[in-house]
Amino acid sequence: MAKSKRSARTRRHAQKGFAILALLLLVVAVVVVAVLDHRVTKQFEGRRWTLPARVYAQPLELYVGQTLSAAKFTQELSRLGYIAQGPAARPGTYRRKGDRIDLFVRAFHFSDQEQAALQLRVAFDGDAITELTDTQGADVPVIRLDPLLIGSIFPIHGEDRIVVSPDQVPPLLPAALKAVEDRKFDTHHGVDPLAILRALLTNVRAGQVEQGGSTLTQQLVKSYFLDSRRTLGRKAEEAIMAVILESRFEKTDIMNAYINEIYLGQDGRRAVHGFGLASQFYFGKPLSECALHEIALLVTIVRGPSYYDPRRHPERTLERRNLVLKLLAERGVVKPEEAERAMKKPLGVTDNAGRSANYFPAFLDLVRRQLREDYPEEALTEAGLTVFSTLDPLLQEKAEDALSEELERQEKSGRKSAKGLEGTMVVTTPQTGEVIAIVGGRRASFDGFNRALDMQRPIGSLAKPLVYLAAFESGRYTPASIVDDAPVELKLPNGQVWKPGNYDKKLRGPVPLVRALTQSLNLATVNLGMAVGLDKVAKTYVQLGLDEAPPAYPSMLLGAANLNPIQVAQMYNTLANGGFRSPLRAVRAVIDEHGKPLKAPELEVSQAAPAEAIYALDRVLIEVFERGTGEPARRSLPPTLVVAGKTGTSNDYRDSWFAGFSGGHLIVVWMGHDDNSPTGLTGTTGALPAWAKLMSSISTTSFEPLMPEEMEDRWIDYFSGKETSPYCDGSAVRLPFMYGTVLEPSETCPPGISPEEAALLAPPAEGTIGPDGAPLPSPMPPTQP
Amino acid sequence: MRLAPVPILVLLLMASGCTLTSFEPDTPKGTGTHTPTPPAPGSGPIITSVPEVSPTAPGAEPGSVVAPTPLPRERPRTPPATLSPASKALVGQAQTQRKKGDLPGATASLERALRIEPNNPLLWIEMGRLRMDQHNYPQAEAMGRKALSMSVGDNRTQSQAWLLISDSLKARGKNPQAQEALAKSKELSQF
Repeated sequence: MAKSKRSARTRRHAQKGFAILALLLLVVAVVVVAVLDHRVTKQFEGRRWTLPARVYAQPLELYVGQTLSAAKFTQELSRLGYIAQGPAARPGTYRRKGDRIDLFVRAFHFSDQEQAALQLRVAFDGDAITELTDTQGADVPVIRLDPLLIGSIFPIHGEDRIVVSPDQVPPLLPAALKAVEDRKFDTHHGVDPLAILRALLTNVRAGQVEQGGSTLTQQLVKSYFLDSRRTLGRKAEEAIMAVILESRFEKTDIMNAYINEIYLGQDGRRAVHGFGLASQFYFGKPLSECALHEIALLVTIVRGPSYYDPRRHPERTLERRNLVLKLLAERGVVKPEEAERAMKKPLGVTDNAGRSANYFPAFLDLVRRQLREDYPEEALTEAGLTVFSTLDPLLQEKAEDALSEELERQEKSGRKSAKGLEGTMVVTTPQTGEVIAIVGGRRASFDGFNRALDMQRPIGSLAKPLVYLAAFESGRYTPASIVDDAPVELKLPNGQVWKPGNYDKKLRGPVPLVRALTQSLNLATVNLGMAVGLDKVAKTYVQLGLDEAPPAYPSMLLGAANLNPIQVAQMYNTLANGGFRSPLRAVRAVIDEHGKPLKAPELEVSQAAPAEAIYALDRVLIEVFERGTGEPARRSLPPTLVVAGKTGTSNDYRDSWFAGFSGGHLIVVWMGHDDNSPTGLTGTTGALPAWAKLMSSISTTSFEPLMPEEMEDRWIDYFSGKETSPYCDGSAVRLPFMYGTVLEPSETCPPGISPEEAALLAPPAEGTIGPDGAPLPSPMPPTQP
Repeated sequence: MRLAPVPILVLLLMASGCTLTSFEPDTPKGTGTHTPTPPAPGSGPIITSVPEVSPTAPGAEPGSVVAPTPLPRERPRTPPATLSPASKALVGQAQTQRKKGDLPGATASLERALRIEPNNPLLWIEMGRLRMDQHNYPQAEAMGRKALSMSVGDNRTQSQAWLLISDSLKARGKNPQAQEALAKSKELSQF
């Protein structure tokens, strides 16, 4: 009895223990579920993907008179993912008939305007748009195409995505996803036990994990809330969260989240998430415009973005895509004949990831740096901003080509010093101060050292125009003033003596300023700079747009200052812009995810120097191409195009520079070695041909600033600086002077001379008059380019 | 050879019916073909009073500048600047946006026009007016000065630019300079 009593007591204890244990487990389970529920609900409700700022290129503006041919226009359209199809009846399509193009422009939210999708008719005549109307024939004065997406600002090793709303998703996509990945999606409660069982069986048979059996909801949970470890506990957690998610949210919400969340590929450091970005990444067009075979490919990629990478493994991916198409037909999503037709189509991915993603790392780097001045890093990488940049994709491509072709040509010369030559280019539009292209190096799509922004190199003779600007600004000099190209010795603050020389070791004695600058004479420039004052010359660097003046040492006069190509572009942009300084911009506007405009750098102008001094300098810089160090480029430029610029070469030929401009474009080119070893190139032989190649391949205008009111043109002798007549053979050069400037008349060929008289004076041979009256070969060899 | 007897030549030429003054100079081959063309004498309505500056003025170094001669000096006038149809549409759009208080939108529209016609002074004046609305007076003045630099010879446009400059000065309390600018604007509007 006692025994049974004891056992009964034990049993009661045990029962009580179990009860307590069960209760505890229940409490733990409830707590776990509650915690997970809280997490799932909270995170999913205020659903915000970290949205990297999206960066767009400048849009193509269409208007009557725009310089654009039908052929170039169709190129632009295909770059934007427009397809030539039928009567252009839906956004993203066009039809070309000779010189007429009908197109359906996509809707786009610009910074200032929501532009609805619209149908247009464009007529071309050669290189220009001659008609721009809507389908009713009414004139459209001006319209923008949707701009090219050129990248996004994502954290290092970060996720990148384009979020799409349900109305931007073709209905075929969710249907296909359900048919292939999760047939019971519409009815299950987050998990599909049968599918799990089926997967388990397959896996046991195979002896390893082969099939997922996860529902779309589980895949979403795994990607959105959890890391990628595949443990049993993780699986359980995933299943519970999936059930919670299903009980709290609508199916359509979950599907939309899946479409925006899921991982679909890798592009270098950036992870491609969501179908919106995947469509851009693989096809270069919006998801809404994807056809059946493209949607089938995206659904294929979901299974294994690296295994089914259409660019790296096209065969197996195509096989799987066709399997998906077959499945879609079998499961009634599409008609069998539709699937058949789609199976015959190629994968349709754009050539290579670099180009299709429109990857311009050097330019994006500048965009990022300019934005960082106004926005914290998280705002850029997470807040879903849209950035409208100044990049001109067509020009960027041309700049990349011009630079790499020239670098290759140099290498092919066989000179040892040309091996591994590097280069960089910056292009701006002077009047608006916009940076429209940056080439960071020979391999433009390589995201590495950004030479345009991070390199600091001596600018050589690019510094000379600043000396002459200071001289003209002082009011004591004109382009005809005489300066002595004679030896100079200067005592430096450290006690050393600086003894510069001319490039060709020759001395030219008294020369007018116009010759000293166009032929880049070192000694004349140093003598002029010392006479004007080092502090005054140093000040011009700031006037033209640098943040601070270089140290006012005499060597500054010959370009000892270390600058990067963007800084050079900033200074020369001011010269190209009639002396008005505009801080260079890579960003036009920024809007938040609701379309509200945010802070962005504004268009600014300020007068940097007196108009007369700038005008005189600019006119002398035009002469660089007529009789100075830029002359060799003249024949490769369009004969009527007026341009101005300056060569630069640093000591021992380490840096070859050219900075020059037309009316519409400023281009700065640098060539050199990353290890700073000599290149054997001057500005004339290295950078100038690349500059000329780009300048002659773009549509631009002549540099023709208006002469200030108080100035007039007069003819002077290039070698003596004396006033002469336009008929005095090749040595007369027309330059601007303030009214009332006293010029000494030439004795040999005075201003009033008639053409007949002048003809009798001119030497019979093709020669020019040297400073001493002796005929010299023409053109004069440059001294220090 | 080089020191040809100029006077004899002159006599010879005059005898053969040529005069030195009636000839319209042509740009000689090989020089200056790419330099901006200066206003050709006679192409504008009037050229008067080119001052006689003695080439041998005492104390003046060749190439130096003497005190500027008094203005105004008549230069060939150019027809008033006009807007292209595209710019006109964009300026109209910007004006509508300004009225609605959408200044960022107006800025964007005007910048579009400026990219199409960067050398059109009217657009810079319009941009300056917008900067006035934004109370950015120094920039309004700078845009006015930019418009001046690209409208040399166009009195009507210069008058508008001076008016903008005057307004921007007045807004900053710089009344004497504002008056001066206004006077210039009025004077130019009479042509």
